[in-house]
Amino acid sequence: MQIDWLTVAAQIVNFLILIWLLQRFLYKPITRAMARREERIEERLADARAARKDAEDEAQAWRDRQQALEERKDEILQEARRDADALRDRLEAEIRRQMEHQRDVFAEHLNDERSVVEQALRKRMARHVLKAMRRIVADFADTELQAQLASRFAHRVETLDDGQRKRLADAAGRTHDPVLVETGVELPAPARSRITRAIHDSIADGIKVDYRTVEDVLMGIRITIGDQIVEWSAGEYLDRVETIVAESLELASHGPDGQARERSHA
Amino acid sequence: MDISPDQWILYEWRGLTLNATIAFTWAVMALLVLGSWVITSRLSEGETVSRWQVMLEVIVSGIRDQIADVGARAPERYLPFIGTLFLFIATANLLTILPGYQPPTGSLSTTAALAICVLIAVPVFTIAQRGLGAYLRNYIQPTPLMLPFNLISEFSRTLALAIRLYGNVMSGTIIVGILISVAPFFFPVMMQLLGLLTGLIQAYIFAVLAMVYIASATRARRQGDDEDRDGASSHTNTQQGN
Repeated sequence: MQIDWLTVAAQIVNFLILIWLLQRFLYKPITRAMARREERIEERLADARAARKDAEDEAQAWRDRQQALEERKDEILQEARRDADALRDRLEAEIRRQMEHQRDVFAEHLNDERSVVEQALRKRMARHVLKAMRRIVADFADTELQAQLASRFAHRVETLDDGQRKRLADAAGRTHDPVLVETGVELPAPARSRITRAIHDSIADGIKVDYRTVEDVLMGIRITIGDQIVEWSAGEYLDRVETIVAESLELASHGPDGQARERSHA
Repeated sequence: MDISPDQWILYEWRGLTLNATIAFTWAVMALLVLGSWVITSRLSEGETVSRWQVMLEVIVSGIRDQIADVGARAPERYLPFIGTLFLFIATANLLTILPGYQPPTGSLSTTAALAICVLIAVPVFTIAQRGLGAYLRNYIQPTPLMLPFNLISEFSRTLALAIRLYGNVMSGTIIVGILISVAPFFFPVMMQLLGLLTGLIQAYIFAVLAMVYIASATRARRQGDDEDRDGASSHTNTQQGN
């Protein structure tokens, strides 16, 4: 066991050199790298903590919002029910009003249709009644009756007012045609003479008179002098009756409806 | 049989001899420095780290934690000295598995050199931290009568450091040499494995003891200074009370 002091000195120097070399190549680089890595890890941890805190804050905010929504849910549902009820009532009222309006329109159209049908029916009935009357009159209009009618017509010609007589006389003066006497049935000779005499006495003396039988003159006589026509017959009466009936039906059908419409509008 | 590698002269030139101790020391130094340089030249500061870098980081952080456990306040200050002590001794001891290798720590010259470094490092660190006066005052604590005993303690523990390391390593080498000549198969291998464990433990003991000496010196003086400050403040309070 001996100590070589030269070796001791050399080993001291070696050791000091080794300290410097390891400090240069080992401790400094390693500690620096570890420190930087720790800094980076610390930064990442700080970022992660911040992100986690943000996430927790956001989650808490969402939870608060969800809780608020839960608390408001019943209120919102009740409000929605109230709105739905109000909407339903409003729609029902609207539909009811539309239905009433359509019903009124339908009733009005129905009344119109009924009026038209009634009016047409009445006209048809009146026409049938008059037609039956014409047929009855035609059936009963024989020669004897025609003779009486001719006598009556002659009397009527004789009793014409002055204005009518003058028009007929002027017409007779203007035309060169004979006076045309039309009857529904053939007149007997005495009746024709009576009428001819009455025409000669009252309208134009000496004018030629022709007689003709036509079907449209019903139970009466029609005299045509130029452009003037004088007619007296049951058909004329019936035409007047038909006109009066038509006017009455028209008045009967439109009068009450007009009042009803005024009431509905009011 | 050579007890010490100092006596194994490899090269001699004009009175200057290169013995095995210095040669193997250089080899260990070259291995440590080149290994460190190769690994730290490709250091990674990201998540992906090589295995060798992880190994170095584990070693360095382990040494730093040990220094902190002993009680030093700033481990980075003592890391180069204590870390180099441990790495050098451990590497020198572990390389005994190589045939033909003679550990430089088996030389009393090397262990003495390391112990002298510790002997010098204790006052150097203390003076750097507390000042020369505080360091010298420590030798006359608690009374000036303790000065010779403090000096003896300082040198004896340095001697103990040197002898302990030398004795353990040298004895292991000698025992292996003897056993090879007696029973050349099984026992030398077992003793070699035991020698690896013993060498690693001795490196740890040497480094930790050195750190304990440094830490106890700086801490004792710091506590003494704290006590001085407390005494002064209490004295001031007493005067204020009077």
